[in-house]
Amino acid sequence: MSIWKYVVLIWLTVVIIAGFLIEIPKIAILEETARNLFFHVPMWFTMFATFFAGMIYSIKYLSNENLNDDLKAESATQVGIVFGICGLLTGMMWARFTWGTWWTFAEPKMNLSAIALLIYVAYFILRSSFDDPKLRARLSAVYNIFAAATVPFLLYIIPRQLPSLHPGADGNPAFSDMTAPELRIVFYPAIIGFFALAYWLTNLRYRYGRLKNVVADL
Amino acid sequence: MKISSNTTYNPPADSIIMDYSDKWTGVMPEDPNAFIQFMSSNDLIFVVLAVSLIIWFVLVFYLVRVDRKITAIEEKVLNKDLNNSEV
Repeated sequence: MSIWKYVVLIWLTVVIIAGFLIEIPKIAILEETARNLFFHVPMWFTMFATFFAGMIYSIKYLSNENLNDDLKAESATQVGIVFGICGLLTGMMWARFTWGTWWTFAEPKMNLSAIALLIYVAYFILRSSFDDPKLRARLSAVYNIFAAATVPFLLYIIPRQLPSLHPGADGNPAFSDMTAPELRIVFYPAIIGFFALAYWLTNLRYRYGRLKNVVADL
Repeated sequence: MKISSNTTYNPPADSIIMDYSDKWTGVMPEDPNAFIQFMSSNDLIFVVLAVSLIIWFVLVFYLVRVDRKITAIEEKVLNKDLNNSEV
């Protein structure tokens, strides 16, 4: 196992410890749950990054028809869905104790993020409908580019036009007076750490898929 | 974060065992050593941290194991095949 993986593990361990233990200012309603910023928000950022990587590999596949690129797109997208589910579940937990409800259809960011995940679930349903690897790769690459194009609209543009309790909605920036500047000291390293973890997981999934293909060809 | 003394909550570290000691007759109240006192400070936040770290380290252990296993299979299978295989 290469050195950078040990660095990622130690890095994220430090992030978790610091996330629990740094002094944070008392913010009304949020209280100690302001620390969720270090764990909930990086889930979404990591999902964006992996979905974006998946789109890049889908474009690459369409231009060079190398099935390894299709496998990379599939792997990144799968890891992205895992992080998206984590973001959704942690968001529900946070919402219950700050907004008073597990789920509300009045909250655009909640609903639109769930829709974004469903669009990506459809990517895997589409993939499973073909036996021919080349056909599967081409059609799912086209679909994946469409899916990635919906994400900025569903998770940035539309929620910002609508009234919402979620920070980053209704025209206000995500870092507003509700979020103290010292939270960023842990928040940015957390994002870097989870990006690296997602890269590692994507890489593992890719290597597994490659082995599976080789074994299938024997 | 300060380790202790800035909160009003300042019980003996084994207060929970004291409260229940008539129900847990087999449990002897242990001498609250430095570790127990540390974990009992700051409204028990260190207990939450410890629980989270246990989960994280178990996941890390699993992740490293899977990584090593895949590497082992790759060495067996791919070194022969990868160079001339399309996939």
